[in-house]
Amino acid sequence: MAIFKLHLPIVDDIKQKGLKPALLAKVDEGVTRLTAGLGINDIRSVLRGDPAPRPNPRVKPHADGFWFHMRPTYYHNLVTPLYPQFRLGWLSVYFMVFETITGVFLMLFYTPSPLVAFENMLNILSNVPLGLFMRDLHRFGAELMVLAVALHMLRTYLTGNYKKPRQFTWFTGVLLLLMTLGLSFSGYLLPWDQLSLWAVTIGASMVEAIPTPYPLNLLGDQWFGDQYFIGTFVNNLVRGGPQFNDNGLLRWYLLHVLGLPLIAFVFIGVHYYKVVLHGHSLPPEAEKVGEDTAKRVPMDQRTYFMPDIITRELFYVVLVTFLCIFAVTLGGYHAPLEPHAEALITPLHTTAPWYFLWLQGMLKVGDKVFWGLIAPGIIFNTLFVLPYIEVGPSRRYADRRIGLSVGMVVCVTLSMLTFMGTPWYAVSSSADQEIIAEIVPQTHPGPLRATPWDELTVGTYEAKNWEQAPTPGLKGLLEEYEHAVATAQAKDKEGQFKNLDGLLIIEEWQDGLKKITVRVTWQDATGERTASQDVFLHRDSNYGG
Amino acid sequence: MTVRVVTGTIILAATMMIVAFIMVNEPNRMTDFESGYKGRSVEAGAALYDTNCKGCHGVQGEGIEGVGPALNARDLFDGRRLSEIGWAGTAYDYVFSSISGGRPRASSAFSTYPQRMPTWSSDFGGPLRPDQVRNLADFVMNWETTAMAQPAETPTPNPNAAGTDLETELPAGDAARGDKLFNGQEGTYGCFGCHSLAAGEVKVGPSLAGIAGTAASRVEGYAAEKYIRESIVSPSAHLVEGFQDLMPKTFAQSMTKQDLADLIAYLMTK
Repeated sequence: MAIFKLHLPIVDDIKQKGLKPALLAKVDEGVTRLTAGLGINDIRSVLRGDPAPRPNPRVKPHADGFWFHMRPTYYHNLVTPLYPQFRLGWLSVYFMVFETITGVFLMLFYTPSPLVAFENMLNILSNVPLGLFMRDLHRFGAELMVLAVALHMLRTYLTGNYKKPRQFTWFTGVLLLLMTLGLSFSGYLLPWDQLSLWAVTIGASMVEAIPTPYPLNLLGDQWFGDQYFIGTFVNNLVRGGPQFNDNGLLRWYLLHVLGLPLIAFVFIGVHYYKVVLHGHSLPPEAEKVGEDTAKRVPMDQRTYFMPDIITRELFYVVLVTFLCIFAVTLGGYHAPLEPHAEALITPLHTTAPWYFLWLQGMLKVGDKVFWGLIAPGIIFNTLFVLPYIEVGPSRRYADRRIGLSVGMVVCVTLSMLTFMGTPWYAVSSSADQEIIAEIVPQTHPGPLRATPWDELTVGTYEAKNWEQAPTPGLKGLLEEYEHAVATAQAKDKEGQFKNLDGLLIIEEWQDGLKKITVRVTWQDATGERTASQDVFLHRDSNYGG
Repeated sequence: MTVRVVTGTIILAATMMIVAFIMVNEPNRMTDFESGYKGRSVEAGAALYDTNCKGCHGVQGEGIEGVGPALNARDLFDGRRLSEIGWAGTAYDYVFSSISGGRPRASSAFSTYPQRMPTWSSDFGGPLRPDQVRNLADFVMNWETTAMAQPAETPTPNPNAAGTDLETELPAGDAARGDKLFNGQEGTYGCFGCHSLAAGEVKVGPSLAGIAGTAASRVEGYAAEKYIRESIVSPSAHLVEGFQDLMPKTFAQSMTKQDLADLIAYLMTK
């Protein structure tokens, strides 16, 4: 007379089949549900590379499962080797996921406020287990992601895959490139170190140059008393005020963790949907001009997702993750962290991240408005509309001589501009400051700080007498010093710095603290001149080296 | 494909070994970073001290008489300075909050430093960020080893000091000079600042009008002179009802026997 009767089918199964077979069957059932169609034995045969049984259970997840329905059931044999795609699109997605995972970890220990952001960094490095590891991975992955996305675009351009019907795929791809650059750049700003402050200062001063065209400037003058009001407005928007402040940091943070990833994930969806819709296009030489046979894959040309592609992708996941982890541990890659942001101290050579050096190079060419805004604007807009204006039907290399030549010229130009963006090119600063920045740079430890503390013997040393230094560490340092002096002397063709000399004074200052004065002396028209920089070094500070 | 699965598995195992190795080493790494960061903090503090503090406290924290007290000094670290000003926290906290908020008023312990210490932390309107103040405090605290190596200051007893012993012989008192001492025309005692000689007038301490008479009746067995003497050298011994224990306790050391005798002689005329 039970009002409520509990029915457990598993109990009946166990009674019927015995404990072990019943449980195994249950587990198998669960796995089949999870994979939307593949049981344990099916997965096993996939991983072993067995030929597919008939009927093929391996197509079922593509029809019924959410994750697998996004992936094609089979690929054309011609697109599975390294050429023509080099896995670059796949790598981009991999890094997007990789960055999300490491990023969420870092997010747990970060507050976007200038008051604590830098301390959060120190806390991540000193108090969070695996904090350094995760931060290094995040930064390393970010660099590789930019590289992968950029190369992916280059490859798509070279093989002409942007042509009809894949114009919109290319369009969303350019958008994703912008998102990647934006994500990477906004990530630079968050630690609130010198690098972040000055990177955003350069960026903001570029957008500040946005011109207010006639007649808006007259109206702006009337309404706001500011005829450059558009530039001012955008500048206030990105900095949070006339000076980069807490509002600005919060904006960049939200952009980094929410805005840009959201847009990026949506457009990764669109991008990949289009890729699957049109099929992975074949190498240019594999099909007739004007034909697109990517979707019609003959039976004998098929590589099935299961087992071939999936094992391959699992292998890549493991391999790339291993390479990243290797790089940040045994490889010695570490994300840099500069001193706390300081609006009053401008580092001597502030450089943009490497993927923006070409932009910095253009800024050195001339006018900020044209080279900083209009020229990059033209470049990216050209990229967006490229597939709609370059409508030649053939994807074959031989038929695209002009296009490929233009691409080559652009690559060479970008490389040159990148070089021009580095401090090597056309940065005029005085010889004495160059020498001092060489020995004690403001942006990274540099040779003095890397010299073992114990080998900095108290005394006064001349760089040119480096061979007489008492310790090997000091000898190496002074040799470098002398080299910097000689380089600066050679660069000084106008003779403003006669008889440049380097001096190093090491004093005992406090318990475990030494004061090192880097002093450069020279003669100019007004007579004897000196410039010095004091540096304090503590026994424990451990700058590495 | 088998090759891929096998290599993949090996690589996965290698990755996990690296991560495990990293995790095992994490506590050491974090400790190293901590001490490394402390070192860099001292460095940054040294640079800040050089630009902001040495003008008043001396290049090596030796202090400048009348401008800023010594920081590279034993009494800052052995607790004497803290107890003099009644600081309950640690020396680090004292240094940190003094730099942050400045010293609004020179305490009695530093009455020879008329200048106020300005506020430095941006929290209180100063020019430095809180983390820079921490750097400075780390730098100042790094003087501990050298400061503690200085010889402990042993107070040199003044042979002429009045002392707290009420039985020692006093020289003959001069009431006229006592008048000057009492009224601040001579010496630095300034008794008149707190004690009025008009009957019933209370400034801070009780009025001393008629003290020669009342003193004799205050404590049994005490003559008037002895009571006045005790009230000066050990003011806490007997308090007049209704008054707090505010009188300086330093006269036993700072007052000479002659001054004490003169003051007693003067007060005995009142």
